[in-house]
Amino acid sequence: MINKTQFAYEPGEHEAESASHSYIMSLIAIIAGVPLPILNLIATLIFYLGNRKSTYFVRWHCTQALLSQLSLLFINSYGFWWTISIIFSDEKITNHYISYMVAIVIFNLIEFITTIYTASQVGKGKHVSWWFYGTLTNMICKSEK
Amino acid sequence: MKKLIFQGAIILLVFLSTWFCFTQINWVKIFHIQQITDETEKKLGDVLLEVVLKSEDEIKSPQVNNTIDSIVNHICIKNNIDREQVKIHVLQKDEINAFAMPNGHLIVYSGLIQNSENQEELTGVLCHEIAHIQLNHVMKKMLGEMGLSVLITLSSGNGSPVIIKEALKRLSSLTYERGLEKEADLKAVDYMIKANVNPTAFANFLYRQSLNDNESSKYLQWASSHPDSKDRSVYISEYIGNKAAINYISILNSKTWDNLKKELAR
Repeated sequence: MINKTQFAYEPGEHEAESASHSYIMSLIAIIAGVPLPILNLIATLIFYLGNRKSTYFVRWHCTQALLSQLSLLFINSYGFWWTISIIFSDEKITNHYISYMVAIVIFNLIEFITTIYTASQVGKGKHVSWWFYGTLTNMICKSEK
Repeated sequence: MKKLIFQGAIILLVFLSTWFCFTQINWVKIFHIQQITDETEKKLGDVLLEVVLKSEDEIKSPQVNNTIDSIVNHICIKNNIDREQVKIHVLQKDEINAFAMPNGHLIVYSGLIQNSENQEELTGVLCHEIAHIQLNHVMKKMLGEMGLSVLITLSSGNGSPVIIKEALKRLSSLTYERGLEKEADLKAVDYMIKANVNPTAFANFLYRQSLNDNESSKYLQWASSHPDSKDRSVYISEYIGNKAAINYISILNSKTWDNLKKELAR
């Protein structure tokens, strides 16, 4: 699911720290954003916008952190509105609903653990590319050279 | 790009498979989640009906039941309502009242039929109660007022007589929230228009009930449990005004309607 590879250049200590912060930011956003999933995206987006003119390494990891929030945003939002409809309308608690909530808890947990691991590795200057999101980031984020 | 689509599809597939696998577990049973199922509603309706029929006389006359059935059948057919969902019980009582109970039981008091000036007025009230059934207002209201655990206890047949009596009292004088009442009123108008029955009679009935302060007012349970009859007749009239004029019909011929009243008067 995640792959440690050689980046295009050796990032400096300050770069690695900034890139690592993008994941830390998304971690905080996941915790804060549990009740309102859109908060995840907004917090990571703000961090991304603040660093979009930074070095390639920082930009690349900010982009990957932002993109990884997108799929969570969709599945969490669906779960959130499903819950709201159960509380405020005639919708019933079904096996499908509970299964969905269990599935999203597992996926959020995987994302959480992966993010912690990536933040620690990127902070050491190592390049960590995620399955799918890394590929997508490579297509979006290009080196200026 | 192909690699990206492939990886994205794998992630989606893994998520959907995880979800599907978890659906094989009966979580509702594991967590003992109490909720109103169709079965609960059916049992609750049967328990309450049994108590009603013990204390009130159900009219068994085929003439009365067939006549009321003719009206309800016509409404249901024209509005694509499953006729099996509406179970009519005509009871001998002077109260001008009709009310819906869980599981589609609709109680109609003979007083309502006798005090309806024409068949369209009665049809309007029946349509209103059918709308409450179709829109699931009965269970929604009972759930809000009595709570889930009380309803589940009642449906199991273990409810104390006091609670059952209270439930019936609330049902027969059930004042729905204004929003639900209006929804049922407008739905009733739609039902009547689709069935080619003049809905103005329904508005007139409500208006007449709101003015009625004579001797019969002590029997006016239906109007008094549905507040603001005058306001309702106004918004119903306005709603009818927006609908295209059509040729209205009488479901029953005048002789059948008169015979119904004569039969109940006996």
